[in-house]
Amino acid sequence: MKSEANFELSEGARKGVPVLEVRGEVDVSTSPELRDRLAGISEAGQKVVVVDLTDVSFVDSTALGVLVSGLKRFRSDGGDLRLVVTQPHIAKVFEITGLTEVFAIYRTSEEAVRA
Amino acid sequence: MSIDRSTQPGADEKDAGSVNRVELSIPARPELLFLARMTAAAVASRADFGYDQIEDLRLALDELCLALLQVPTTAGRLHLRLTWSEDAIEVAATLEDEDAPPHVLPLATASSVPSPNELSERILDALVDQHGVDHRDGITRSWLRMCRSRDR
Repeated sequence: MKSEANFELSEGARKGVPVLEVRGEVDVSTSPELRDRLAGISEAGQKVVVVDLTDVSFVDSTALGVLVSGLKRFRSDGGDLRLVVTQPHIAKVFEITGLTEVFAIYRTSEEAVRA
Repeated sequence: MSIDRSTQPGADEKDAGSVNRVELSIPARPELLFLARMTAAAVASRADFGYDQIEDLRLALDELCLALLQVPTTAGRLHLRLTWSEDAIEVAATLEDEDAPPHVLPLATASSVPSPNELSERILDALVDQHGVDHRDGITRSWLRMCRSRDR
């Protein structure tokens, strides 16, 4: 059964860096799609990816797990996975789990690409 | 979903002992967890909790359910009971497998108790006042209690 949760991925690029824009709710049912898309970007040979969570309304521990796995994958290839987080309640989830110490988090995708 | 409003035994209706309760029973499938989150938000809003606590409860309840859904099951149902009073919201979640004998989970043994992963545990520790998992009569129940913030 397809999830009724609001969720959408769209992929673009800035200055050659892939930017994955995520919208809606990233939970146990939708995060596998995010995982697969990140794996595809990595397999395509990209070293760096920006995941833009500006329009995300919900993340849970499974979503965080997918992002951490993605981070490990990109860093093991000498690259990076950078996040864009602007909404306070999403930023709070990264703070309370200690992941603000793990991820490079930016306010805009432009900043993330320039870093 | 059922909604009930009653008073605690022995409490005067005028006292702060009034307790409201909502129960939700859904198929134990991850793609339906959004229904549990919607219910949590509605209850927290009805209980006049602030925006931040509504978001906190949505996430905490999701994590509570994830802990139960780690048990392999094919046809189970997830039962949620949310109660609220003037001071707090409490949630209890249980998983019932329709393929198993009544009130007995196939994997509900001490060695296979579903435990939240570390991220989930950190989230629950940070967002709610109390949470836990207990086992009674072959039923695994995960629960949480969130007190009303005075910082509204």
